[in-house]
Amino acid sequence: MTVTATNGATGPTVQTGAPVVGFSGVSKSYGAVRAVADVSLELHPGETVALLGPNGAGKSTALDLLLGLKNADGGSVRVFGRTPAQAIAEGRVGAMLQSGGLMEEVTVRELVGLACELHPRAYPVDQVLAAAGIADIGSRMVNKLSGGQEQRVRFALATAGANDLIVLDEPTVGMDVSARQAFWATMRGQVEEGRTVLFATHYLEEADAIADRVLVLHQGRLIADGTAAEIKARAGARRITFDLEGAIDEAALRALPHLVGLEITGPTVRIRSDDADATTHAVYGLGLYPRNLEVAGLGLEQAFLAITDAATAANAYPAGAGGDEAGKR
Amino acid sequence: MKTLVRLEILRTLRNRKFMFFSMMYPALLFVISTLGTGKDKEVGDLGLTYVAYYMVAMAAFGAMTAVLMGNAERIAREREKGWVRQLRLTALPGRGYVTAKIAAAATVSLPSILIVLILGATVKSVHMAAWQWIAIAVSTWAGSLVFAALGVAIGYLATADAARPISMVFYFGLAGLGGLWVPVTGWPDWLQTVIGYLPGRPYAALGQSIELGDAPHAKDIAVLACYLALFAGTAAWLYRKDTRKA
Repeated sequence: MTVTATNGATGPTVQTGAPVVGFSGVSKSYGAVRAVADVSLELHPGETVALLGPNGAGKSTALDLLLGLKNADGGSVRVFGRTPAQAIAEGRVGAMLQSGGLMEEVTVRELVGLACELHPRAYPVDQVLAAAGIADIGSRMVNKLSGGQEQRVRFALATAGANDLIVLDEPTVGMDVSARQAFWATMRGQVEEGRTVLFATHYLEEADAIADRVLVLHQGRLIADGTAAEIKARAGARRITFDLEGAIDEAALRALPHLVGLEITGPTVRIRSDDADATTHAVYGLGLYPRNLEVAGLGLEQAFLAITDAATAANAYPAGAGGDEAGKR
Repeated sequence: MKTLVRLEILRTLRNRKFMFFSMMYPALLFVISTLGTGKDKEVGDLGLTYVAYYMVAMAAFGAMTAVLMGNAERIAREREKGWVRQLRLTALPGRGYVTAKIAAAATVSLPSILIVLILGATVKSVHMAAWQWIAIAVSTWAGSLVFAALGVAIGYLATADAARPISMVFYFGLAGLGGLWVPVTGWPDWLQTVIGYLPGRPYAALGQSIELGDAPHAKDIAVLACYLALFAGTAAWLYRKDTRKA
């Protein structure tokens, strides 16, 4: 597949017809482990999509399948209506892999220059270096870089040309807070030019702040797909906690309106609800006298844990205990 | 692709230790292996002196060392570090990577060949026509591409830890059976026939034919060309097919 190199390319091409990415019934197993199980999804032009999941959820495998680095056991993977290899050969996809090593014993500028030469719709090297914020370390040897600088070089490799889709696998791992902010500022520039961005992350605040669509992958399955707000709502947006004296009538609590989750530990009752006012009102309506009542909003992190726990229980695997304790991974 | 070839050559040249030892090793072996032999002592019925025989054998051996040992392990390590995964996300065709790796290997093998030949001409007083020197250098260099391609293929099949021992097995096997250490003249006929179809013997035979004033045998060239196509093709296929966790 040959595409004429256009060094003056200014932006991504406008997509028509086929979705940017189309997974249909995609599965991939390693021996008995199903890393990706029957996943179907479509990404559309201009979307910024976060792929969330705990470690081992199948995120990296899903991205490898998307990029043609691995072949699916079943189902079909299309990128711009083509095979991943074709889309890459046409210079429509840029990717930054967590496991992507760098060529050593060359300078940053030489390496980025290589990526530009190989890209069918490349930008000038200086522009790529500047956009990635590494213009000042162009003459540094690649094997002498810090972790954060390496990530920026990887980012430069992923953005060497006018890609329509950028795939990032945990792009900000190893960056400190300010580097992370600078990275996402650069990334927003890419989005504003009309690119589709898909990034895997386990920093939930990143998904919350940056993505306009969140995919949740758990044990190889796509268990949620929506905006961050929708996912929070689905998990039960509020958490109600109180203590009760005496015997607790669990069946009565479970029948409360708008209840999404219930957990009882000794005298303490934890409820997730998508309408905390109505649920709390109904608690009093039962004639109960809740002490130490607290109502708090769920972050995306807690929502995420709630959804993955529910999915774990539904899959009849031994459930990880603790529904929505903050900070638990 | 031109940039990749250029960078691979540049990287090799920047790796000074590897360059230095790749160049000194065959030169040293050549000097040692011809220490005890008289200047005019001939090898069996080949019509070559021991010195002339070993000069070509050690030039070939040195080139093999440089390309096989250098390529296999470095490639396996690059795969492990994920550079090859990154490279596969570019529009680079499979042959581009293999070409660049072979070119880089050839950068190391040329000086190691030349040093042995220069030692032969000066210290060991081997006399030949100018065209013979040039033809030996060129054919030994060209022949080393076969082993460079083998190195790439091994680098693709093996893990970083296994690449060195595996290339050692090939390297000692092919060099020994190629008569690079011990002249093949005393070997049984059937064995001489068999090794004629392995890459080591035809490789050394290229230079030895030229030393005798002949052109290299068409059969030797054909056997080497087949191995080059086989190894390079396998390497390019493995590069694109490498769907294992690298």
